[in-house]
Amino acid sequence: MEILYSVYEVLWFVFIVIAGIALIEGYFYYHFQFYDRRWFFPAALLGFPLAGAAGCFAMGLVTEPVRIFLWLLGSEGLIAPFFRHIVKGRSKLAYLLLAPAFIGLALLLVYPFVFEVYLSFSDLKLTTIMQWKNTGYLPFVGLRQYIDVFTTSPLSEVTFWALLGRTLWWTFINVFFHVAGGFTLALLLNNHIRFKGFYRTLLVIPWAMPQVVAVLAMRGEFHAQYGFINIMLGKLAAAYPFLAGLGLGPVQWLSNYPLTTCTLINIWLGIPFMMVVILGGLQSISSSYYDAADIDGASYLQKLRFITIPLIRPVMMPAVTLGTVWTFNNINVIYLVTGQSGGTERADILVSALYKAAFTYNRYSYSAAFAIVIFAILFFVSVFYLKSFDAAKEER
Amino acid sequence: MADVKFSKVTKKFNENLILNGVDAEIRDHEFVVIVGPSGCGKTTLLRMLAGLEEITDGEIHIDNVLVNNMHPSKRQIAMVFQDYALYPHMTVEENMSFALRLRKAPKAEIKERVTEAANILQLTTLLKRMPKQLSGGQRQRVAIGRAIVRKPKVFLFDEPLSNLDAKLREEMRVEIAKLYQRLNATIIYVTHDQVEAMTLAGRIMVMNHGIIQQVGTPIEVYRKPVNLFVAGFIGSPTMNFIRGKLKVEGDKLYLKNDDISLYIPSFLLSKTAEHDGREVVVGVRPDDVLVGGAAREKCSEKLDGMLEVSELLGHRENLYIKVGDTRVLATVEAFFNQSPGSKVAVCFNYENMHVFDKATTQRING
Repeated sequence: MEILYSVYEVLWFVFIVIAGIALIEGYFYYHFQFYDRRWFFPAALLGFPLAGAAGCFAMGLVTEPVRIFLWLLGSEGLIAPFFRHIVKGRSKLAYLLLAPAFIGLALLLVYPFVFEVYLSFSDLKLTTIMQWKNTGYLPFVGLRQYIDVFTTSPLSEVTFWALLGRTLWWTFINVFFHVAGGFTLALLLNNHIRFKGFYRTLLVIPWAMPQVVAVLAMRGEFHAQYGFINIMLGKLAAAYPFLAGLGLGPVQWLSNYPLTTCTLINIWLGIPFMMVVILGGLQSISSSYYDAADIDGASYLQKLRFITIPLIRPVMMPAVTLGTVWTFNNINVIYLVTGQSGGTERADILVSALYKAAFTYNRYSYSAAFAIVIFAILFFVSVFYLKSFDAAKEER
Repeated sequence: MADVKFSKVTKKFNENLILNGVDAEIRDHEFVVIVGPSGCGKTTLLRMLAGLEEITDGEIHIDNVLVNNMHPSKRQIAMVFQDYALYPHMTVEENMSFALRLRKAPKAEIKERVTEAANILQLTTLLKRMPKQLSGGQRQRVAIGRAIVRKPKVFLFDEPLSNLDAKLREEMRVEIAKLYQRLNATIIYVTHDQVEAMTLAGRIMVMNHGIIQQVGTPIEVYRKPVNLFVAGFIGSPTMNFIRGKLKVEGDKLYLKNDDISLYIPSFLLSKTAEHDGREVVVGVRPDDVLVGGAAREKCSEKLDGMLEVSELLGHRENLYIKVGDTRVLATVEAFFNQSPGSKVAVCFNYENMHVFDKATTQRING
């Protein structure tokens, strides 16, 4: 019987979504279709706020229907003239088709973002959250949270600036090795070799696997006693004593080198994506360029430098931008590798510190400000990349 | 400048035989056009000469030097590709100077050579442009310029005009002819377009199925095709072929099939008796088919035909004539004053007739 209940719940949810879309569409249809009727204003100003307030009240969403009615009346008083005098029913179908997606985006992106900005200017934390719940009131603190982001530690000891530096370094190292490794593998795969499809499949596996599974599997391999990495290091040191003399040997990866471990795992995870993108780029280069370069007398490295690299730049730039953003924002690897083992802070980057600040230290407003700062940094990085990408495209 | 020699050159892709023992010699300062249908191996032959394809068997000499295992850049050749292969991220100037820059030639020399080539090809104002900012014809000229700058011993053109529209193709054809007069270089030019072959070549090399069918001046190849393939490939519109059996009646030789009984004069095939019963194909170019009044005036032996369709080309007119079940194309002066469906007299200009053996496809008249 439980399964029937689940089906019922799913169907109920679908019904709610469809009903919501139908309501929204009907609402807009009215404004698009009847904007020039004489009864447009009275019907809109009376009907929609009344229906909205009554609906909300009936569903138990609000306790004061009059207040909601006045709110809705006010907003309808702005929306109705807008449709009558500015939209005038133009492009009706296009907007009706766009409306569900637009509203979905507004609910999922715009509302949380606006709320986050609101939070970042108030003071919501473990000690004020009950007050907020009971009174609905949050003290406005201006830019204090932003100042705190730059002056206090989001965690117990690491400062924001140390985290930022660590994040930039982490991003650079990761993206560098993603590109270098992906490029090398793509060059190898672009040759005429046997079992190419097989190699390609093998190499894509880390990327195709769910990240949680891949990271946890690799984390096991970095185990001090049972992971293959330490076992191999131990065997190597035993077989070649001079290597042991150089200091090679098993290492307490997770407790002594958490950031290195995370980096190694993330490099392993990120190479396949770059490889696939670069391989696609390589295969789109016409072989006649290489023929021409052969006749012109270019060596392998010269062909790489003068033909291959300039010609895959257009596919590289978006991939590198994406890779940078993903790596910068990569909480999965850090959290999964270090978050469980007593929570070292030595591997934390900005986003993982943000997560801890919000959900371990419960400083919600502070984390909101922190998140907006991170967003700003990423935004500028992306704009810079995309600008240079456009410039590269102009060149061709 | 240099001569080029192919000796028993063979190319196999796995078990596919692409070139089957090509023997040819191209002399210094010669403009040779290799022509043939797609897949005949002409481009492969050119790429082997350039060093872009391995040679399965045989030898290629440039200027009496065996180049089989020589790197393309060492062979002193330059190649113009069908898709131009201009490096899209370099300006015209950078494209043209790329080879010299790789060779670390002195800057002054590079500049001088690029300027010279740009002058020849009227590219001076375009030197700073990117390839994508150029029209098809301009790109083609840059590709040629890139070849000129290197001062090679042999120029290789791989279907250079096939990506251009018809009008531009004609213009560039003339440009290339002018360029040849100016450079006086050894040029090997591959095309599937027999008009380019006829107009540009000093000598034509007709290829099919990886074998050279005939080598000769354009007029030789046109007037005396050695086999059915060459006869059908060279010339536009295509030559008419009439299949049948030779029969001796009295002391005269006739070509007979179900519809046609055509007198074959003895200057075309002497030793009449030898040919009795031989299966042959007779070829006549559309220009050598006489129709109507011309046929009545000039020929004693005529065939009865029926005009199916006439196509007016302007100064000439294509007439498709059914003789029994055989269709014959005649190209005559405009305007031919008879409507489709009417009966016409047809005869052939015997002097320009070709007789091929049906089994061997080889030419048997002199």
